[in-house]
Parts: sequence; structure tokens; C-alpha cells
Amino acid sequence: MEQFNYLAPESFDQAVVAKSQHAEKSRVIAGGTDLLLRMRDKVVAPSVLIDLRHTSLDKILVSNGVMTLGASASLSQILENSEITQHFPALQTACREFAGPPIRNRATLGGNIVNASPAADLVPPLMAYDASIVLRASGGDRALPLAEFFTGPGQSVIAPDEILMEIQIPLLVASSAATFIKLGQRRSMAISQVNLTARLSMHNSDCVTDARIALGAVAPPPVRAHSAEDALVGEKLSEDLIRMAAKKAREEITPISDVRASLEYRLEMTEVLVRRALIATWKKQRRTKTSG
Amino acid sequence: MDEVEIKLNINGNVTQVKTEASTTLLYMLRDDLGLTGTKDGCSSGDCGACVVMVDNKPVNSCMMLAPQAEGTTVITVEGLEKDDELHPLQRAFGETWAFQCGFCTPGMLISCYALLETNDDPSREEILTAIAGNFCRCTGYQGVVNAVQRAAAELRTKSEDTEKTDV
Repeated sequence: MEQFNYLAPESFDQAVVAKSQHAEKSRVIAGGTDLLLRMRDKVVAPSVLIDLRHTSLDKILVSNGVMTLGASASLSQILENSEITQHFPALQTACREFAGPPIRNRATLGGNIVNASPAADLVPPLMAYDASIVLRASGGDRALPLAEFFTGPGQSVIAPDEILMEIQIPLLVASSAATFIKLGQRRSMAISQVNLTARLSMHNSDCVTDARIALGAVAPPPVRAHSAEDALVGEKLSEDLIRMAAKKAREEITPISDVRASLEYRLEMTEVLVRRALIATWKKQRRTKTSG
Repeated sequence: MDEVEIKLNINGNVTQVKTEASTTLLYMLRDDLGLTGTKDGCSSGDCGACVVMVDNKPVNSCMMLAPQAEGTTVITVEGLEKDDELHPLQRAFGETWAFQCGFCTPGMLISCYALLETNDDPSREEILTAIAGNFCRCTGYQGVVNAVQRAAAELRTKSEDTEKTDV
């Protein structure tokens, strides 16, 4: 690892000032489970590291119909939060299937976003839940939908003087249900071959009022399957409709072959998993209705 | 080069260390403090041989910089025994043949110790989840599951005894 100056600002404001001072030469570190790996391999060699450990950026709060998650919230914190269990269970499923406990105790929600990995496990559930993010620079804040953050593998719209501050998710109407599915070479410690989240809002008699299908590891950035979503909205849900939507999702993605899976396997499994996720979500909807 | 001075609690002792900012917690423990029980397997957070407790949670010490451990409380495998007596978990690992080469054992012990801190009667499934970040490449995991359940039973009996004495 190259040498660097280590800074641990006493507040988030000070961290933002340090980031604007050192800009391109600096990196922000929180959990470090991904950054340290890339520093060791000399993929990145910042001359200044700005540690967020004293910035209290790990709070998870609900107010005015919005859940705000500080970017430094660890995956373990997300797993232990009962309000997330209640409102955003698919996000917890993604955390549960992420690496193993020692990594989950350090890895952060913000880190999984700013790395801009096409396979980031927490991004599809966040996109399916309509999450937006807030970036802060000394000049002010910038809020944008999470889906607009990514521009390619490892690439995003974040500026050198900006720090990801928080993730905001609107609390959903009770008639919404979601399912996260991850396909990896083993159950733990695996980077996804395909990961996805489907979310459906429904009226009585199985009519879909809103749909989200967010996919990871099958395109340069994580993507929504818009035409598959459009095929569902306004329709009465059926197994045939779900099969058709899953086919559309397959047509929308542009996967590559890499060490984890071939292009063909990713195409095939995306269709299978979108179908499974939609059926599972439909079942959850029905259960919610009968129970209350 | 950025040298940092770090103060932290390791295995119950307040310790002050001078090291480079780029040193990982793992190599601060091994090289600066001579605590070589904690192992370096993959240096990438995949194998779990380097797992230690930091502020009551198991973490990969290879994936943490020494200065990030400033002010924390760390427990390594050397900190498990008390008054020259092995922790019941360590004894159970020996009794149930939970290791052969022993390289994964320090990290495995810490992950299991962390589990027993929050769960005094873990199921097989809960144990396997707790050690999902610890790879063993020679013995396998059944011995570890048996060891944790044996140690858990012993610790439960002990705490019952203590409760009786308290009354």
C-alpha cells in the first residue's frame, strides 16, 4: 500500500472541508472493506485518507414519511433496525446475503453505493424502493435519484469535492411488497452473478398499480427494467403476465461474460429470477391482504 | 510517511502504539505488538483467519487500518483465556477435533466467541451463519459446530451455578 496522510475529522462539516481541500488526491474511508483492497492492489493511491468515523454519519431516522440512512450505517446496523424490517425488508435480505458477519460489521451502505460496482447488492433494493441520495460539498447539497448516480462500472456522477451524506427512502404505502434475490457461486462471501429486486403495488383483484424491477451485475451500472415494469402496470397479475414481463427484462439487459458467469447464463438466469421474484412478491401481497 | 500514535484497549490492557498510518490492524497486532495468534490468510477479507473483536463485534483485522482502531476495545485469540485457563470454547475445540492445521482457528474462535456473547444456545444454522466469513480448508465445519454447542452447554451450566450461588 502507498503511504498517505490519515485524517479523522471531528465532524462531518470538517470532513467536507477536508474533501474540498484535497479533492482528487483524497479518498473518503468508512468501513474500508472495499477501498483498502483497492489501495493494497494499487488500483487507487490517494495521498490523503479522510476517515468518517467521528462524523456520526451512521444514524437511521424516520420523519415526515421518509427514512434517512446516514451513509456510514453498517450493514449490521441495517439488519438490526426494526423499522427497516417493517418497511424495507428486501434491503435486509440483501444485507443478510452480503459477504459474512465480520465484513457486514464494517461495510457501509454508502460504501456499497459510491464504489459504483455493477454488482453492488444493496443497490437493486434501494432502486426498487425509489431511494434518492444526498451529496454534500462545501458549496452545498445535491440530491438525486439513486438510479441517476451511476454512469458505468466504478463510475458515478460524484464530484471530487463531494461526500455521499445520506440515503433517503420514502415510506411506502402498505399495499407494496418486494423481493430480493441474489445468485452467487455460493451462499456467503460471493460477488453476485445476478442480483435483483422486484416490487409491486397492487389494488384489489390482483391489479398492479406500480412496479419496480431493479437489476445488478447484468449491465454496466445497475439498471431498472422499465419495459418489463410497464408491461405489468395497469394489468391484472397472472402467471402468463409475469412470464412475459420476465422475458422483457431479459431483452433489456446487456450483461458481459466474466470470471463469475457467462453472458448467456446471466441472460437466462435474469429471466428465471425476475419470474421467481415477481411470483414471490405476488404471494407476499396476497398474504398481507388476508392477514389484514 | 505518516506515523500515527494509537491508544486502544487490547485484551484488557490499555496499549499505546506508534505505527504507520497504512499499517492494518492485523499487522499492528502481529508486528508491533507481537500478538501473532491472529493470522493473515488472504489479506482481502475473504478467509476470516484475521478476525478479532473490535468494540464487541467480530471484524476482519486485515480490512481495517490501525488508526481506525484508535480508542477501541480489541479482543484477540490471546485474550480468550483467563488466569492461565483456556476459555471453554477453546477447550471444546480441542475436545471435538474442530481443527487440524489450526490456521483458521484463531479467527474461527473469535467469530464463535462473538456468537456466544449474544446467543447462549445457538442452533446449528445459527453457528454456520456466524462462521460464514471463516474458511476452513482442512477439517471442515462439523467439528466447529459441535465445539460451539458443547461450549455453550458448559457456559449455561456455569451461569446457572453462579445464579444459585448468588441466591
